[in-house]
Amino acid sequence: MTAWIRKNDSFSELIERFRREPYLQINLIFTGVILLVFAYSGFFSPVVDNYPVVCLHEKLTGEPCVSCGLSHSFSLIIRGRISEAYDWNIYGFRVFIFFAAQLLMRIVFSVFYIKYPDSGKQLITYDAAVSIMLFIVSFLPYIEWIIKQIDLS
Amino acid sequence: MEDFTTSTGQSQQPLSGQTPGKPGGQSLGIAALITAIVTFVIAVIPCVGIIAMIPGIIAIVLASIGLSQASRNNSPRGVLVAGLIIGVVATLISFSQIFVAGKIGDKFQKEWGGNIENVINDVQKNVLDELEDANVSIKINADGDSVEIKASAGKQDRHQELEELEKDNTGINDSLDKKK
Repeated sequence: MTAWIRKNDSFSELIERFRREPYLQINLIFTGVILLVFAYSGFFSPVVDNYPVVCLHEKLTGEPCVSCGLSHSFSLIIRGRISEAYDWNIYGFRVFIFFAAQLLMRIVFSVFYIKYPDSGKQLITYDAAVSIMLFIVSFLPYIEWIIKQIDLS
Repeated sequence: MEDFTTSTGQSQQPLSGQTPGKPGGQSLGIAALITAIVTFVIAVIPCVGIIAMIPGIIAIVLASIGLSQASRNNSPRGVLVAGLIIGVVATLISFSQIFVAGKIGDKFQKEWGGNIENVINDVQKNVLDELEDANVSIKINADGDSVEIKASAGKQDRHQELEELEKDNTGINDSLDKKK
């Protein structure tokens, strides 16, 4: 009985921390967002080709862009067909890794933040630095493409 | 339930627009930061980058409202400022996508302008070539009698026909000089 009460107390304390700490709330929401991205990729099939999102760039200019086929690529990676995913979008896998890494980081950093409350600021700094680096590495081809297009025009 | 009782024992009510237990504008700050980061990720994907303008503006608005609340309550602004900066950068990237799309559209229009004339000329030439070699056959049925007229529009046939006509009329002098 006392063990149950203690467990219940620690749970309510955890909830209280989540309510109090913006970092934990942000992590929780981002975990949900990333899971939604994966759910989207799993729900829409590359065989049926029923993706609701169309390339606006292609619609406006008539020319495919560097991120065309990203949804197909994600769906194929979720289904384990990685070589086919490369055919749809060559950079799809690295963007997928970014999302997967972010999902893992949100969970791991939240656990560390709860376990070691004193190192909160340090953890947030590490998190921001790693996330920015991962973002740049993963989305670099797209960023380069945008810059190139601006340069060309 | 949160305890808002101060050390003096007086009950302190949360300010309007402020979540109990949170400093003024912090909830808005979290919302702004999340919206801004999501906008940033969407903005660098060329396919959907243009849409990112909408959440970008929402993030800026949220952060601005949060900042005004925070300045009124003298509460921390770190999350709000981060949300505002990321939101502004993401919106700028999204705007640049419109610029890129517009420029590419212009470029293609210029290229197409020159190409359209060539395409029309090609089509015209192809149609004329096909008409040159066309075989036209007209069949008329009237009261059980049928007449078929075959007219070949081919260049070679026309030349042959012309030569035959010229051969037939060799004895007739129709030149103006001779008549004089």
